Formats: sequence, C-alpha cells, structure tokens
Amino acid sequence: MERRKFLSLGAVAAAATVLPSSVSATDFRATAPATWDAAGSAEAVKALFGDIKPIEGKIKMKAPKLAENGGAVPIGMKSKVEVTTVALFQDANPRSAVAVFELGKGGVFDIKTKIKMRKTANVTIIAKGTDGKFYSQVQKVEVSIGGCGG
Amino acid sequence: MKVKAKLKKGVVGVKVLAKSPMVGKEEAEKKKVAVEFITHITARVNGAVVWEASTGPFLSKNPYFQFAFAGANKGDKIDVDWVDSNGKTAKKTAKIK
Repeated sequence: MERRKFLSLGAVAAAATVLPSSVSATDFRATAPATWDAAGSAEAVKALFGDIKPIEGKIKMKAPKLAENGGAVPIGMKSKVEVTTVALFQDANPRSAVAVFELGKGGVFDIKTKIKMRKTANVTIIAKGTDGKFYSQVQKVEVSIGGCGG
Repeated sequence: MKVKAKLKKGVVGVKVLAKSPMVGKEEAEKKKVAVEFITHITARVNGAVVWEASTGPFLSKNPYFQFAFAGANKGDKIDVDWVDSNGKTAKKTAKIK
C-alpha cells in the first residue's frame, strides 16, 4: 500500500513538471503535420490555419527583390498588429512551410530569419492576430543562384 | 549557438545564430548525407516562453533568427534551446544587456 501511494505521488509530480512546457510550447510539426508536407503555399496555409480569408497590407515584409545567394535569403517581417502566430511559406522548394513562429507574453511582431530558395518564387507570411483575424503578405523574390538541394 | 539580447526602450531585441546543416529529405538524397535540421526552437525568460518556432529544413544552413519582446529587465537571463530531427538538443543562456 505504501509503495503504491509513493508511486502514484511520483507520477503526479512528474506530470506537474512536464505540463507547463507542453502547455506553453506548441510544436506545430506535431500538431499540424500536413502543413510540412504540402508542396504549395495555399495547401500549407489551409493545413495550418484552415479556410481563412486573411487581410492584406498590415504586415511589412522586408525581402530582397533579387537575392544573389538562394542559400540564405534574408526575410524580415514586422507589424504593429498584435499577433500570436506567424507562419512563413515559400514556393521555391519541394515543400512550402519554412517556419511557424509563436510569440509569448509581451511578444513584439518583429522577426527576421534567413531561408533557402532554389528558384524565383513568392514568399508568403500569414499571421494570426490576438483579435483572431488573419493577416497576410506576399512578395516575389528573384533568385539568381538557387540554394536548395532536391 | 550564439545568443545576444539587448534591451532598448523597453523592448528586448534578440539575435540567435543556431548551428545545424539544415539538411532536408531531398537535399540529403542528392548530397548523400544524413537528414539533420532543427525542428523546434524555444526562448524563455524566467521560465516563461517569449518566442518559439517550429521549423523545417528550408531555413538557411546555420539558421539565423531575430525577434523581440517586452517585459524583461536588464540582467535577466534568456534561455534558448532547440531540438533537431534526430532528437539532439542544444541550450544556451545569455544575459539581457
């Protein structure tokens, strides 16, 4: 009896220590696996957010018009709109989804990263606002030397 | 991994340079190397998640991230950790300057 009690206590303690991280951190690779297999941006967006009609023109995307090195194309995105989730897609590689960012408490929508593009294509940003609305921005990036295998 | 965090006008700007070849399925087949890319990267301040990303292999090699958040003080510590497609993890702590 004593041992059983001890074991159950241990299980509760373990659950309590594991829970906070799994609640606050969302792994979109696990929760929306179809997103990462989609070839085109439209399918990937649908797999991640569902059938949405995003508002255009609220997000500022900073991407080069002509990228010389497709291996590292800098993409900057920012907005005054308060958002919880920002997803980045492109149509230059075998699959569309690049990354899904999530902002925590106090998060400011000002993100920069570098992506691979093997050819000229559109880069799409979809953001989900704290107001529940979706925002999008699309920009074409020309690539002179592709940087992605496959 | 390199992490730099700087407080400016109440907003902490963070720069992260991760280290991973970011090789996806197609690239691995072509170059005959193993698949290896970061799948998730998380930044925490005082235990609370301030920023995180689920990532795929189409980020550049040794991916670079820049992000911002409010509500932290100078001297607070920011923990950044990631896990890759092989389950390998890395962690780095930096002080907010």
